[in-house]
Amino acid sequence: MVSGYTLVICEKPDAARRIADALSGGTSRSEQVSGTAVFRFSRAGEDFAVCSAQGHVYGVSDPSDERAVYPVFDVEWYPSNLIEKDGAGAGRRISAVEKLAAGASKFVNACDFDVEGETIGFNLLRYACRGKEREALRAKFSTLTTEDLVKAFDDLKPQAEEGLARAGRARHAIDFVWGVNLSRALSQAPLGSGHRYRTVSVGRVQGPTLGFLVRREREIRAFVPTPHWKVTGVFDHGGERLTAGYAKEKVGSKDVAEKVRRDCVGKEAVATSVRKSIVQVGPPVPFNIGDLQKEAFRAFGYTPSRTLQIAERLYLGALISYPRTGSQRLPPSINYRGTLERVGKIPGYSALVGEILKTEPRPVQGAKVDPAHPAIHPTGERPRRRLDSSEAAVFDLVVRRFLAAFGPPARRELVDITLSVGEHDFRLAGGRTVFPGWMERYGRHAGYRDIELSPVSEGERLGVVGVPVEEKFEQRPSRYNQSTLLEKMEKEGIGTKATRAEIIATLVGRGYVVGEGMEVTDLGLSVVETLDKYAPSIMSTRLTMDIEEGLEAVEEGAEGEASLLRETVRSLAGQLAELSANEEEVGKEIDSALTSVVTKALVLGRCPACKTGELRMVRSKATKKRFAGCSNYPTCRNSAPLPQRGGIRATAKPCQHCGWPVVLVAGGRLPWRLCINTGCPGKGKP
Amino acid sequence: MEALHQHRLPREGKAMNCPICGRVAVQQLCLYHGEAKERVEAAYPLWVKAYGGIEWKDYLDSVKRNPQTGQWAKEIAEFLRG
Repeated sequence: MVSGYTLVICEKPDAARRIADALSGGTSRSEQVSGTAVFRFSRAGEDFAVCSAQGHVYGVSDPSDERAVYPVFDVEWYPSNLIEKDGAGAGRRISAVEKLAAGASKFVNACDFDVEGETIGFNLLRYACRGKEREALRAKFSTLTTEDLVKAFDDLKPQAEEGLARAGRARHAIDFVWGVNLSRALSQAPLGSGHRYRTVSVGRVQGPTLGFLVRREREIRAFVPTPHWKVTGVFDHGGERLTAGYAKEKVGSKDVAEKVRRDCVGKEAVATSVRKSIVQVGPPVPFNIGDLQKEAFRAFGYTPSRTLQIAERLYLGALISYPRTGSQRLPPSINYRGTLERVGKIPGYSALVGEILKTEPRPVQGAKVDPAHPAIHPTGERPRRRLDSSEAAVFDLVVRRFLAAFGPPARRELVDITLSVGEHDFRLAGGRTVFPGWMERYGRHAGYRDIELSPVSEGERLGVVGVPVEEKFEQRPSRYNQSTLLEKMEKEGIGTKATRAEIIATLVGRGYVVGEGMEVTDLGLSVVETLDKYAPSIMSTRLTMDIEEGLEAVEEGAEGEASLLRETVRSLAGQLAELSANEEEVGKEIDSALTSVVTKALVLGRCPACKTGELRMVRSKATKKRFAGCSNYPTCRNSAPLPQRGGIRATAKPCQHCGWPVVLVAGGRLPWRLCINTGCPGKGKP
Repeated sequence: MEALHQHRLPREGKAMNCPICGRVAVQQLCLYHGEAKERVEAAYPLWVKAYGGIEWKDYLDSVKRNPQTGQWAKEIAEFLRG
């Protein structure tokens, strides 16, 4: 082992490779230590070894690790390989850092500069490097370009700011204590009713987030629409038909709507007002991670977690800046002109950049600030590999948003025409872009549509061709989708920019919500109902927000993490006692919901024989084989064999040939659709 | 609203289940169907005003058939219709 080198600890292997390449000028050599890649090189007479974690390699757990035990308030940090099923990789990485630390004389934390990155680096320096967390230096950078990395290593900072790491460690401990106790309380309760063990989890942020979904679900399911009428006027304008909406968009009474029709039919309308105006539309502010996730959902339908994963890959490829940022600001330190010039060399953007560089570039700035990183922007590096279609789409979105931020404002002409028939007014509204400005750079994502109106002059008379009256009903509220739920979490100040997407994915994974429309299941309803009844504070946004504020205070050094942890435990203990005292009731409620969820998962579709029952997946007691049987058994004895291997899921549409249920069988390389009717006339047909 | 209370609800006494979904009942119906019942009753005067009069049973039929009506409101409309 070579001694006296500088050990650089990175968060991910790709980042380690990039840092080694940048600092060595591409001359680093790779070797394996404990089965992980380590990069060695010399720079200005100093020897370096660059290694990496793979995200978190230490985790919080309780010493007992018994899933039946709660409450648990004493927690410790452990290597992830000791507490997680798939933590073997973490063990190898810790072992590599331990070996390398033994020969190092200087330590540099080069993990991502945010709460999670700081926690990862801190833990490795404390545990694997045996207490080097204070003497290590910090490399701070927002992009993985050679220029930024060299600058960061030429200007290493003392590892003085422990606030981020302490806040990160406190967040992990609080979330563990919260999640493990509530999940164990809720998962244990149904066992008394003889139900098989199933994890029913409730995290600190997950609970209130599920609460938002449940409140909306209850509104939707109890919704009663009220009727209204939509009145439209159709007018003749020199042979052209113009359609205008009645000034009162919703007429609440059928009689009133009919009276409007009677009053107008056969009459003449006068254009009583024709107003034209020019409005300026400013460019959108630069992306922070939440904005990027929402825009990618709107533009491409990508879920927030997918967008985050794509953005991380683009960051590790040095194509965009660090994505987990809350900032909507682009500071001059990113060098606007230099970055734009580099972006201009990427095919497809040169003309747009050329326009911007005709004057001194200055971007619009948003209100949100993040002291650690600027808003997400392209670095100007060209992709070294071919991007897949989703990476290319997100990259293009980031580049275009960056270019759009440099303005100038667009101008739109708005036209508003009022046509009056006696006392009744009808309105026509149109608009068109007269100067595209930033919209040209943002392309199809700008989202403004032109509605051109034929020119009508004030005082002009138009014949009334017809006045159709349509009965309408109030629309029920929409369910949250992953993007609007993320927005709600941001607005309510719960979760962090790094964790929100993962929390939403967990709600889906736990079976609390299903489908793209995020419909809440009986289990989701039951968990919220139970906690609202027995542990209302758990579901309160207030408590979660208080903890978030406490964590921010720890980050800033204004509060100690121990006192925050004590306060959290105190809040939690009372709620747990209440849950425990009512274990039987809680168990019954969760059990019934679990049964409903499990039963629904077994339903394959309507029984085509009796037409009233459902064909369900059943396992034969005699042969242990699974088959489809009717829920009306023994009245209806309809049944069908099922494949014995692979997962089986119902599909919404029955077979077009015979009307029997079609299932999706997952097994082998690709899932396949199967009509379960062995005598289906469509068998063998394409 | 003359027919509102003609539907059969379980008698009060020991713990009972919602006659519609089997969940634990709070005052005859479960929390969710109780909420839906309140909504169905509250919307009736609005429908009467909108149409210049509508019979309670016709109203329930319309609510039940309307695609915008929520699942629990549909179930309670059917239940109240008897």
